[in-house]
Amino acid sequence: MGDNRKILVVGGGISGLTAAVEAAEAGAEVVVVERKPYLGGRVSQFNHYFPKLCPPACGLEINFRRIKNNPAISYHTLATVESISGGPGNYEVNVTIQPRFVNDNCTGCGECAKVCSTEIPNPHDYGMGNVKAAYLPHPMAFPFKYVIDPSIVGTDEGKACADACAYGAVDLAMQPATLTFSVGAIVWATGWAPYDATKVDYLGLGKYPDVVTSVMFERLAAADGPTGGKILRPSDGKEAKSVAFVQCAGSRDENHLPYCSGVCCLASLKQATYVREQYPDSKAYIYYIDVRAMGKYEDFYTKVDQDENVTLIKSKIARVSQAPSGGLLLEGEDIVNGGKVKQVVDLVVLAVGMVPGTAAVKPELPMEYDDFGFVVSSGASGIVPAGCVKAPMEVAASVQDATAAALKALQCAMGR
Amino acid sequence: MDQKIGVYICSGCGIGDSIDVESLSSVAKDEFKIAKLETHAALCSDDGVGLIRKDLAAGDVNCVAIAACSGRVKTDVFNFDPMTVITERINIREHVAWCQPVGEEDTRMMAEDYIRMGITRIEKTHLPNPYSESIDKSILVVGGGSSGLQAALDAADAGYSVTLVEKEDQLGGYMAKWKSTVPTSPPYQQLDEITIQQTIDKVVNHEKITVLTGTTITKVAGAPGMFDVTFSKGDPKRVGSIVLAAGWKPYDPEKLQHLSYGTYPDVITNVQFEEMAKAGKITCPSDGSEPSVVAFIQCAGSRDADHLPYCSAICCRVSLKQAVYVKEQNEENKVFIFYKDIRTPEQSEEFYKKVQKDGTVFVKTDTSKVTIGEGSERKLCIEAMDQLLGEPVMVEADLVVLATGMQPATLDDPILNLEYRQGPAVPELKYGFPDSHYVCFPYETRRTGIYAAGCVRQPMGASRASQDGTGAALKAIQCVELTSQGKAVHPRSGDLSYPELFLQRCTQCKRCTEECPFGMYNEDVKGTPLPHPTRCRRCSICMGSCPERIISFANYSVDMIGSMIKSINVPDEYDEKPRIVALICENDAFPAVDMAGLHRLSYAPWVRFIPVRCLGSLNLIWIADSLSKGIDGILLLGCRYGDDYQCHFMQGSELANTRLSKVAETLDRLMLESDRVRLEQLAITDFGRIPKIIDEFTERLAELGPNPYKGF
Amino acid sequence: MEPRIPFLEVSDAIILSGAENLYWCMQCGLCTGTCPYRLVTGEASEEFNVRKVQRMGQLGLEGFESENCLFACTTCRACVDVCPRGVDIIGNIRGMRRMLAEVGSIPPSLKPIAGSLHAQGNPWSGPRDKRTEWIKDAPVPTFSADTEYFLFVCCTSCFDVRSQRIARSVAKALQAAGVSFGIIGNEESCCGEAIRKVGDEELFSKLAQSNIELFNGKGVKKIIVTSPHCLFTFKNEYPEFGGEYEVCHYTEILSQAVKDGKISFSGDAVGALAMHDPCYLGRHSGLYDPPRELMSALPGAEVKELSRNRNKSVCCQGGGGRVWMETRAGERFAELRINEALDAGAKTLVTACPYCITMLEDSCNVLGKGDQLAVKDLSEVVAEHL
Repeated sequence: MGDNRKILVVGGGISGLTAAVEAAEAGAEVVVVERKPYLGGRVSQFNHYFPKLCPPACGLEINFRRIKNNPAISYHTLATVESISGGPGNYEVNVTIQPRFVNDNCTGCGECAKVCSTEIPNPHDYGMGNVKAAYLPHPMAFPFKYVIDPSIVGTDEGKACADACAYGAVDLAMQPATLTFSVGAIVWATGWAPYDATKVDYLGLGKYPDVVTSVMFERLAAADGPTGGKILRPSDGKEAKSVAFVQCAGSRDENHLPYCSGVCCLASLKQATYVREQYPDSKAYIYYIDVRAMGKYEDFYTKVDQDENVTLIKSKIARVSQAPSGGLLLEGEDIVNGGKVKQVVDLVVLAVGMVPGTAAVKPELPMEYDDFGFVVSSGASGIVPAGCVKAPMEVAASVQDATAAALKALQCAMGR
Repeated sequence: MDQKIGVYICSGCGIGDSIDVESLSSVAKDEFKIAKLETHAALCSDDGVGLIRKDLAAGDVNCVAIAACSGRVKTDVFNFDPMTVITERINIREHVAWCQPVGEEDTRMMAEDYIRMGITRIEKTHLPNPYSESIDKSILVVGGGSSGLQAALDAADAGYSVTLVEKEDQLGGYMAKWKSTVPTSPPYQQLDEITIQQTIDKVVNHEKITVLTGTTITKVAGAPGMFDVTFSKGDPKRVGSIVLAAGWKPYDPEKLQHLSYGTYPDVITNVQFEEMAKAGKITCPSDGSEPSVVAFIQCAGSRDADHLPYCSAICCRVSLKQAVYVKEQNEENKVFIFYKDIRTPEQSEEFYKKVQKDGTVFVKTDTSKVTIGEGSERKLCIEAMDQLLGEPVMVEADLVVLATGMQPATLDDPILNLEYRQGPAVPELKYGFPDSHYVCFPYETRRTGIYAAGCVRQPMGASRASQDGTGAALKAIQCVELTSQGKAVHPRSGDLSYPELFLQRCTQCKRCTEECPFGMYNEDVKGTPLPHPTRCRRCSICMGSCPERIISFANYSVDMIGSMIKSINVPDEYDEKPRIVALICENDAFPAVDMAGLHRLSYAPWVRFIPVRCLGSLNLIWIADSLSKGIDGILLLGCRYGDDYQCHFMQGSELANTRLSKVAETLDRLMLESDRVRLEQLAITDFGRIPKIIDEFTERLAELGPNPYKGF
Repeated sequence: MEPRIPFLEVSDAIILSGAENLYWCMQCGLCTGTCPYRLVTGEASEEFNVRKVQRMGQLGLEGFESENCLFACTTCRACVDVCPRGVDIIGNIRGMRRMLAEVGSIPPSLKPIAGSLHAQGNPWSGPRDKRTEWIKDAPVPTFSADTEYFLFVCCTSCFDVRSQRIARSVAKALQAAGVSFGIIGNEESCCGEAIRKVGDEELFSKLAQSNIELFNGKGVKKIIVTSPHCLFTFKNEYPEFGGEYEVCHYTEILSQAVKDGKISFSGDAVGALAMHDPCYLGRHSGLYDPPRELMSALPGAEVKELSRNRNKSVCCQGGGGRVWMETRAGERFAELRINEALDAGAKTLVTACPYCITMLEDSCNVLGKGDQLAVKDLSEVVAEHL
């Protein structure tokens, strides 16, 4: 079977990280490849988790420490899978590493950023706010290494960054590289992307700056986000003291995502707490079809619902428009109360659904998909899908699924 | 081990600009017995690390103190064999150079104290001496339903010996009693056949699996790697770890009198309905006739403060499935589903859609307020407020099915009958479910080596329950593998230390046995703790709890932290340089302090941070040590506690707070203001609050004036 | 409140009447929120809740039958376009109306319409033998075996004096473009689109069958229509009765002729004009570009867009039989469109549907904006510039 006692984990988000550390701590050798310049995936962009309202950085920190302490785990960032050949127990995978333009000498001191004046839209903040073109992806980034944006490579500024580094860490000549791994099993955990809610055109995303998506709102509430954690209206920086959450912004909709994204109700309930905690005189409105707080998450729903300044209204919002008096006007039918919704708010948050990473790009693997792009069958014992590529999942379910995936991969890779 | 300490000081990343590295060298050389001292402009460079590696190779040093950046970074570079080398990272970058004014005397003094504390820490550290006993790697799976069967099969397929115990005479659990299950594959509209028999066959025929049916567990003694399990029949067995997949039971319908259960024979539960469907024909119990109108009442006893406050997650989908049965029996049949919210997450929305298209009538209402009485044309009459219509409706039906929820099998039966001082059951999280409290770590129970899976952990459907069995099996495997190497499991995975007790001085106060979150200690008849090191998660809460200070770890002890505190240079009161010792949680507060440095936030230079494994390891002697040393204030930064606690060891920070409340009285009695000790809850992302916390504490200490013990 | 007793036998009958998707609806209310009645005030706006109407249908309950409720729906399709369950809401409305129509419970104002259709083959009480009066001063060819297109003129443009201008303009433009076309004549009957939406399925099938017999007998293969309503019915509803034709709206033929260089325009600059997308041309048939291409080809055309355009266009309120029902001034959709046109800076509001012309022109006059804004069928503007 050759050198195949290794597991390749594709995707360094919460599912991939979990599969990696769980498999490694059970005795496997693991390589993680991640497309972004850091591990942690989408959860690193979240402010809090529901239902505990705890920061994702806390659990990530533990997982990063497990990686640091475990010589059986290696990882590559800015890495994408180029090709896969072979079969269960014996895969050969080519991985392309995009240049970071910063090598392992980087100490994270930040001198390169000091001399850099070019700014790029901050990818970590979904482009709300800018970041220097020589940047640390985010304060808790792991690996703790800067990135030079390709836009300044070959410019005087790029050179200035290189000159500012006392450790020879800025390497502007870095080229894409290809690595080849021989592995016994592959865990496919490429996660999800938020649905492009500009397609739900009546909700005004992209038309009004004060309509944002739920993932953007996480950044608006995060201490390391574009507003330093203050929930402010993007249009004018005013404190957003009345916030509307529009559920199913694309989900449960045959014109968009026919399935339910599973997490959005709880995410909006959680986000309502951000608003309420920040401004005592604030109001949050949640417009839903059904409130889906499964299992013990019901407790969280009950708790948030008890706040009299959080109002849940059964309504599918039909229109978001500029209110003549300022703010945004939401309109729809208020079903249970037998009336109309006509609510003016400072900020509208669209609860956007989850699109599986496998919807857009399908790897060269025998995996089978449903109509939505979710993986329904791995096609081979050595291929193990994990997390949101299989179905929309919240973090706890992703971790559970990834732990199970770790065992499936282990069975194959260890030839047990 | 004869310690030969090498001290390596980095002047890079602004450290050299901020602090006179020579003065740090002098502290190390003059105040401590060290074998080697080097400074370097970039210690993490090949050249810098080369210095250390050369000294290690030459045998000149075997303990490495690296005064540079935070120990959270460059771990791949400063990476020496933990079995032979003691490595201490002294953080003079994030915790000093990046948060204090350049070149100030106070900045230098701060760095000097970190050098002192770091070297002292090494002096009090021993190389690990892993706990190694003969470890059994077999796995016990408790419960032969969906999750238990899958757990057994997957563990066995990975090469582990498995014993599967099932209290019933048959394997398969509830699944074997069902007619079919909700759709799990595209297009998510056809009911799935029950395939549990195939799994049962694989399990029964697996050479690595021993199946014990009609068997219960009378006792589980011992610890991970050496659990001794006694059964209701047959020989006892030794196993390494346990998957608890004991399943669920339906909510007692006798409690649903408000929904007329027990009043009318044709009001039945979804479990009864399913068994009837499986048996062949759906009929009305009262007269055996086939119903032509069936009404389902969702959340019968669920999402109801008077019954089960939680949602049982699967009942909506079960009723949809059962609606299909009704239509299959006769397509002219009518189905009403009274619901609060239809909960068909993920792809099962497609199934909801299919059942809608079949012509099922859905009525949104508060189902706890539905009234069920005798009908005029049909057997039963249901009255409910139709929130979609805005008016009440009255529906006649032949059969009413109450969609009752799930309760964990462990609710009133400990099942495992653990021989643990803290009780026979795996501690519940809420509502009797022994679930994890952690979003990121769903398999964490408070009994090491025992992993709950399936509906005993939380309400879930069959396919997820079986996945959950696989996940729990991995954790069980991981536990025996790590335990066999003397290593801790999550969250301090890989930690080779374990608590060592100097029992001659034990006073049988039982604090350790009571406070350990993981039930590590049993007790003998006199109350002397009987440690079971493989149950230990190395949080050191017992160490903090012990008034006699007899519990310590090779690399962490009461004496170590006490000595570090005592190593701090405390200027006398006329210098007006107060000193604050900050004991901080290494998991969350420590990284937060790093982040404060990264953001170049500055705070009073009087504070000295000492990371601790958990605030729960706080031993009150440290307060006394600090105050007698002349330290003006003690700050404790730990995780949030309460219902949504974030402590990785359950109650560490809360226990610390409890201990503080006790010490407050003593302090006040000694004329030492209890305000000199302050505990703050700090999340990992709360770095922005750190300067405020320190500055406010400094102000309060200024009001109190210097510690009167200063200079004694 | 006295509880209502659902009658699922009634729901079953509604479904059999064509409301095939009745139970697909999950009652999210997006239809009600999207409905143009939310943009106006008045009785129908208060009473007509399309979600609730379907709810009553699902339960087989009464109480939605009035002119301002079930019969308020203009079948504009705005709700259908966004419905997350893909429900054919118009089909559901039609099915419920049909239940009433079969027992003669349609609103009184629609009864003479049905009568006229029965007797004269048109809804406007025009004598059948006057159907081709509009060609009196400008003759058009008669369809024969070697004619390519049969030009079917909407009953409205056959009998309504204002609307006859549309018929003549279309014919003139087609002639200028050298299109081979002809009309059949007085044997033509109403396409039946609106009466089917009103719920009179029987009458619709009678009209359709009579037309199909006529068309097939004449050897019709391709049809040009003046109204998008006829377009919809010929295209989507006639095939089930055996009428399979290639059907085009005149804007499609003319915009293609412009592209092919077969027609050119001259004369005064048309100035600022904006398009009101008719529901049946736009949302129902997906034709947004042909009229715009045609507009852009006119001399000196300054094409403006209404704030709600293309698939977001707001109905004129003439569909679904509403053209024959009264809506009080101040509560009309068309008034919104007139104001939008003025806001957009248009001098001419063009459209391409006889119902739209009727509704828009009326509102323009009621609002007293006739001096600021002209309402014209696109064919008229085209004909003016030949």
